[in-house]
Amino acid sequence: MANIILDEVGFAYPGAFEPTLLPLSVEIKDGEAFALLGASGAGKTTLLNLLSGLLVPTTGRILFDGVDVSALSGSQRNLAQVFQFPVLYESLTIADNLAFPLRARKAVNGFSAADIASRVAKIAGELEIENLLKRKPKTLSLFQKQLVAIGRALMRPDVSVVLLDEPLTAVEPRTKWQLRQSLKRLQEELGVTMIYVTHDQTEALTFADRVAVMAAGKILQTASPQEVYEHPAHEFVGFFIGSPGMNFVAIDPAAPAPMYAASGVDQSAQRIGFRPEWARLENPSEQRMSSAAHWPGKVQYCQILGTQDGAPVGVTIIASAVGELKVRGPINAIVGDEIVVVVDRFVSFCEEQYIATHYAPRGSDDVLENSANSAGDE
Amino acid sequence: MAINKPYNNRAWLGVLPVLLIVAFSAVIPLMTVVNYSIQDILDFNSRFYVGLDWYRETLQDPRFIDAFGRQVLFSLSVLAIEIPLGILVARGLPKSGAWTSVLLILLAVPLLIPWNVVGTIWQIYARSDIGLLGVGLNELGLAFNYTSNPTHAWLTLIAMDVWHWTSLVALLSFAGLTSVPPAYYQAAELDGASKWQVFRYVEMPRLGGVLVIAVLLRLMDSFMIYTEPFVLTGGGPGNATTFLSQYLATMAVGQFDLGPAAAFSVIYFLFILLFCWIFYNSVMLDNTVGDNEARYHD
Repeated sequence: MANIILDEVGFAYPGAFEPTLLPLSVEIKDGEAFALLGASGAGKTTLLNLLSGLLVPTTGRILFDGVDVSALSGSQRNLAQVFQFPVLYESLTIADNLAFPLRARKAVNGFSAADIASRVAKIAGELEIENLLKRKPKTLSLFQKQLVAIGRALMRPDVSVVLLDEPLTAVEPRTKWQLRQSLKRLQEELGVTMIYVTHDQTEALTFADRVAVMAAGKILQTASPQEVYEHPAHEFVGFFIGSPGMNFVAIDPAAPAPMYAASGVDQSAQRIGFRPEWARLENPSEQRMSSAAHWPGKVQYCQILGTQDGAPVGVTIIASAVGELKVRGPINAIVGDEIVVVVDRFVSFCEEQYIATHYAPRGSDDVLENSANSAGDE
Repeated sequence: MAINKPYNNRAWLGVLPVLLIVAFSAVIPLMTVVNYSIQDILDFNSRFYVGLDWYRETLQDPRFIDAFGRQVLFSLSVLAIEIPLGILVARGLPKSGAWTSVLLILLAVPLLIPWNVVGTIWQIYARSDIGLLGVGLNELGLAFNYTSNPTHAWLTLIAMDVWHWTSLVALLSFAGLTSVPPAYYQAAELDGASKWQVFRYVEMPRLGGVLVIAVLLRLMDSFMIYTEPFVLTGGGPGNATTFLSQYLATMAVGQFDLGPAAAFSVIYFLFILLFCWIFYNSVMLDNTVGDNEARYHD
């Protein structure tokens, strides 16, 4: 296990016009569960390949416990990886598969046959796959195979870091949560440093102690899941995380409407963002008591996601002068109703953060897909 | 679990064309040979039923036994060289890039040459008076002459077969190797696997299927080899390189002994069938064991 430091690590494919990964720095603590979250094309796979030694950074250094490993091969870095689909040695039994990384390095780490057998028993016990040990990979289900692949990655007690490359992609949605639980429990019990790469926010936010949200070859924010959700440091983060993502309302900085100043929006804010559940709907005829920001609009669509205390709850989509707004909560309006959206809580985004909108068309599809997936998932 | 499917006997009509084709292309000719093999045919009107006499005679014929021994030795030799060499060549090929297609085409060239031309090429190439190889070896001080020395004739034949057919094994193995996803190599590298372990545990399991095909094809083809030795050595010197099919041809076409030749053919055919059957089953045994195990556990 190791403390991992990326020091201004950047990468450009030879001959490429633009770098795939802009120089970035991040520290991953010993024993931490860390997630890299981003849409496809964000550069997270490149970053993973840099960590695993498949690629060599064009700038910067990668330090494992203070040692510069940038130029070392993957096997010299003593790390393990779990891939998108289960990678097992097909001709070996499950027990031999688990033992493989220890046997292959026997000359280095001096493990005896008894050490290896007891480690196999321990890891198999943790993953509850003892009954599979004598079988061949092809007799296992995809879920069981991926469990074994995870087990093999955890075999070496001295492994510096375990990289997980979207390990739940191939697993059936119904068993995803189960594998995620096992993974999280093992990570905590064994105290292994894990880096989990995924485009699925649910996986990242439930697994990780800290999440790094990536887009366009940059890490936009590195923080705890809660922090990332509640205080996105970048519009893209607010937009990408949550289903649906944040609402954004543009503010004219030259002449901001008085209600913005009254409700505490930054002077320099270009846009404010708010989560669908941070807003509520009011009847236009009601007398407003608070000075909160509000916009009148017309209900366009109601998406019911469930019920609470017998009443329907979900997302109401409202067309207003500032654009389409999504509000999550009880659904008590019908399509066509005139209504007011009131926001009690928001995040201000200033000039230099405003680069996110061009992600929106592609990103919004992703978010909707994600929400559909995670709905079936839970 | 049984699924109830409705029976419809008209489906047999759909199988009829295949049955006809197989009957005319394989079964009827084969049965004609079987028919010949149990008769003594003097001329068209005087034929005698002789039972299994021709079979007994063939199996006791020392020339048949010798040719059979040479055939087995030849097939095993070329298999022992071509299979490992083919795998080695396939592993040496770049997996992608412009060179891959160029090299694949170059590899395929020997496979495209008609067999008697292959024989002729080597017949000239190895000649000790004008052939590049033959003269070269003699220049090096080796008294090489495949027309008089049986060992040299054998070596030339094996070299020719290796030249001709290693490409097939290499191409099949290459196809097998490209089916290994890069993640498998990456995983083995991270596990600290040695080069041998990568070959043994990552590549070999994936190659298994194509290697069975490669061995079967080469076993059958080399067991039936006729054209190239016929052109290259003509079975000589003496009978040193007379293989089964050549002896058979001498018997059937040269001496017109149709009865014994037919019995010979049937024995020959059954041997090839038996070899392939034993080989295929011994290889597939391993896989079926795994499947049964799965059924017991689930």
